[in-house]
Amino acid sequence: MIEKALDTLWLEERKAAALIKQPMRGILGIILAFAFFMGLWWVFMDPRGILRWYTPQYGYMYIRWLLIVAIWQAYIFNFWPFRPNWMEKTHPLKKGLILVTMNFAITGLLIWVFYYGIFGTFAVPYFSWFELRKTGLSDFFAREYSSLAILMMAAIASWLSPIWPSAFENYPWHKLTQPAKGFTVFAVTFLLTTYIYFIFMHPHYRVLFYPWQEFTAAFPWWYESFHTLSGNFNVGWIMCATVSVWLMETIFERYPFCLVKSQPWRGIAGFFCILLLAFILFFTFVFLQDAVWGPSVEGAKRLMAPDWRYLHTGELAVILLAIALALYFYFDNWPRRFSTEVNILVRVAVTIIGAFALHWLYYQYSHMLLGTQSGYSHPQQFPMAPVILFINVMLYHNWFMDGWPGKRIKQE
Amino acid sequence: MDNDFSRRSFVKGMAVGTLAGYFATAGLSSTVFKNALLPEEKLNLTDIGQIKGLKIKVISETSWYDNNVFLNDVKKAGGLLVNQYEIPWTREGVKAGYQGDNLGGFATYIEAELLDGKVMKILLDTGWNHHWMEKRFNEEGVAEKLAKKEIDFMVSSHEHIDHFFGIQATTKYNPDIPIYVPKGFYQEGFDLLKGKSFPKANVKNDHPHKGKVTVLDSKQVNVLYPGIALMTFDVPIILRVFGEQAFVFNVKDKGIVLVTGCCHQGIISYMEAVRKNIAGGDKIYAVQGGLHISPFEDWDPQYDDLIMAFHKYGVQKIGCNHCTGFITAEKMLKAGLPVVKGTARHMSKRDIYLGNGDELVIA
Repeated sequence: MIEKALDTLWLEERKAAALIKQPMRGILGIILAFAFFMGLWWVFMDPRGILRWYTPQYGYMYIRWLLIVAIWQAYIFNFWPFRPNWMEKTHPLKKGLILVTMNFAITGLLIWVFYYGIFGTFAVPYFSWFELRKTGLSDFFAREYSSLAILMMAAIASWLSPIWPSAFENYPWHKLTQPAKGFTVFAVTFLLTTYIYFIFMHPHYRVLFYPWQEFTAAFPWWYESFHTLSGNFNVGWIMCATVSVWLMETIFERYPFCLVKSQPWRGIAGFFCILLLAFILFFTFVFLQDAVWGPSVEGAKRLMAPDWRYLHTGELAVILLAIALALYFYFDNWPRRFSTEVNILVRVAVTIIGAFALHWLYYQYSHMLLGTQSGYSHPQQFPMAPVILFINVMLYHNWFMDGWPGKRIKQE
Repeated sequence: MDNDFSRRSFVKGMAVGTLAGYFATAGLSSTVFKNALLPEEKLNLTDIGQIKGLKIKVISETSWYDNNVFLNDVKKAGGLLVNQYEIPWTREGVKAGYQGDNLGGFATYIEAELLDGKVMKILLDTGWNHHWMEKRFNEEGVAEKLAKKEIDFMVSSHEHIDHFFGIQATTKYNPDIPIYVPKGFYQEGFDLLKGKSFPKANVKNDHPHKGKVTVLDSKQVNVLYPGIALMTFDVPIILRVFGEQAFVFNVKDKGIVLVTGCCHQGIISYMEAVRKNIAGGDKIYAVQGGLHISPFEDWDPQYDDLIMAFHKYGVQKIGCNHCTGFITAEKMLKAGLPVVKGTARHMSKRDIYLGNGDELVIA
């Protein structure tokens, strides 16, 4: 029994009509999204391309925040300041152009004004490229280190931001109107993100600088159990948590926590369901890597490094998510004709098979397409970056443009 | 009733999910299941033989002179993944540079005495700036040995700028020298060997190589002579390079000595590979060369993992330099690791580790 949601999003209310039959609609959608992704990658990221921001951390930081900002736009602010009427009547191309431009502009403002200009300048210097440079660090590493800090916060935001609208249905602020609701949920989730960041990521920065910054950050408390001082351990499981939120939201249709009758219990149950799924993903991926490459070795680099293995769990999870989202957005969350449980099982199976295929394709061909280096565990490149950018494009296409030209909102 | 039903269904669902989740993950990765399911470690030991003694002379460990100038070149070009043959490297106007040129290079000269008394003379890498490398080759007598064809072969550890772009400093004196390269060399690398220029990167080779080039892969330990072997690692490396190889010497009465160019595979990973693939690999006496830890005086908590784990291998001499980084050397010394000090001559900046003209003798 699926319980009625306390608060619904415009995305859930919109009624888009299919203009092309399946599977052509799905295939066309994926081709279009991939083409747009390749264009963005070439212009902004490709080491052979125009701007070459994938240095790697600098471009990776933008990719991460574009995702969070898209979540804020669609899930937290429910497309405010645009009204549902405008969202329904505006041509998807025009709507896409405006919303994507907003997405880029907010991301730019966030990084250049909030992080570099305020947070990094007046609070924690490692969040600012320019403040780090003043300490004597090379310009290149000042930008790389600050980008890493900013993107680590993004990793947490990508987990926590969607939880409130998705699991808690914006309870207890569900009755507020926009923008009050959006700003409230944004403030709460951003505050939580900041707290979590300082517990799980800040200790990484104690040991990143020389000498260790022992007066400003705790010793990486996970070291004894997980054999690395690197925050990549936390990046790994937190990315699994991010992916779990979206798996729950898409192919799991919020099952089983949607069975709980009332808030806040539904939200609390949702939070723990997501966490449980995250740990299942995390430990499964760690185990799979141990099985394929043998146990990791403390102090080793690359394939054998514990910190890389943890990071790779996040990378594997994101690959899994790309397939789940493609199934959800482009193939109408197939199948839908069985019971909820069977539908979910089939989708999970399809997602796992698809993820294996994408993983193989990535490591076979990505270096040719993306201008990166072939092989596993390059210390300066992250499969998460292109895969998240592809996910961003799928979100732009389906959230901002209603999946056009495959689908279009029905005009009443 | 509805409330009860939903709650009961949820609790049931969660209980089943948690149990399934446990057995699928924590259960599998717990010690009992892990031991049963993970394959046992396989040792595939190769007996490489022994040598009597080893002399390792640092010809040049200074890859570039001004780190900021180098990093700005990288940043302007688009970061650490850009193809090294397409980056306009700064070659003039650098105060700290050699005759204003920021480029230096890495090369090591090795003499390995076989058990029958024959001495194998080996050049590991050939640097970057050929003016600088020629100067160093002449100062250390390497140029003369090359010209007299006394050096038996050259090993290119990997294709990086600072280890390979100065190829003409070697081929000028001996264009016929046999060269070993690791699998993964790009076509540009082979073209440079044959005399092709790359104007964008300010690199050329006026003395095309005419000798034999052997490509070594990672499928096996490549034993070159008794007691002298090369191991190749299929590693992707910054600036669009792939593959690195490093020496394994087995010195009688001492143990294994590892000599590296840059060690992008990671020194712990390298020692682990030696332990699993070479007879006697569990007793590593010394390591020498670049350990690629903080080459740009940058840092990562992972490098502290490495320093903290290094003790377990019982290495008695760490003759590191080059891309090991000064921060690493300082931390290693602080951690009580046996880093061999240098003399800070011939433009090596500090004596904290082996520098240009310094020698490590194992006999």
